[in-house]
Amino acid sequence: MKHDEIKDLITKALNDDDPATEARRKLEEVISYDFSGSFREKIADRIFSAGVVINREVEFIRSWNNAFMRIALTGVAAIVILVISLYLINGSFSVNSILGLNDSYDESIVCLLTGN
Amino acid sequence: MQIVEDRYDNANDQELVEASLKGDKTAFGEIVNRYRKMVARTVKGMLGDTVFAEDIGQEVFIKLYYSLSEFRGEAKLSTYIQRIAVNLTLNEIKRRKRFYSTFSQAGNNEMHEYEIPDSDDEDRKDARELVNRALQGMEPKFRVILTMRMLQGYSTKETAEILNLPLGTVLSRLSRAQEQIRKILEKL
Repeated sequence: MKHDEIKDLITKALNDDDPATEARRKLEEVISYDFSGSFREKIADRIFSAGVVINREVEFIRSWNNAFMRIALTGVAAIVILVISLYLINGSFSVNSILGLNDSYDESIVCLLTGN
Repeated sequence: MQIVEDRYDNANDQELVEASLKGDKTAFGEIVNRYRKMVARTVKGMLGDTVFAEDIGQEVFIKLYYSLSEFRGEAKLSTYIQRIAVNLTLNEIKRRKRFYSTFSQAGNNEMHEYEIPDSDDEDRKDARELVNRALQGMEPKFRVILTMRMLQGYSTKETAEILNLPLGTVLSRLSRAQEQIRKILEKL
């Protein structure tokens, strides 16, 4: 096919709003764009091998989450036990009892800090 | 790897999407098979017949695979794929433009490599080269309209729907694009 014929086809294909024109069909036939023969297989490889990597990443993140949850729960349990024991020993939740200062007098703290 | 079997030959798009979402590789293979030429026309029309176009074509279907759950079936599957193809291709054009403006003095250059397979006959080579040259000489916003219109055969209304543009904008761009391509074709 000569250049002028192809140019003519391009111009005709552009001018008509009807998608099924003869010019458009012919142009499509002449150009016939497609990907390589193994296109579908390459996509399948990329998707499904990537899936393995993604699964591993998801598994890793899940393990971290589990570990974090266990540590957090242990921490919360320790805090609860500490609070209960404080309440049982001191009978209140004042700031001093939480800091362990409820039985101390100002003088003894000064003595403690200065060493005299 | 034989992933396309006869059992999905008569399945409609929605059935293929549902089967793919359930993890059926064969169904997704059929979607690829059904729409690969359509994607090739968009991507190669806009980028040229290069190896990069093949990569972008793969990206289109990979993105489709991971976004299938978002496909509600309100638009046609072909429209949905077409949108992905156009967006990825326009992004690639922008990326190249940035790359060339950084590393080349001729900042507006895009890559003009047409790797046409040797097995193609002369007519096909000539036709592709001519179409490539004509389209690559245009601004991307006009190129995409011409690709939709000339290579995909979409009407103005369908083009507007795919590109998510008002009909008036598509019409005015089409008219300017037609003018541009006529001038380009005269020089070729």
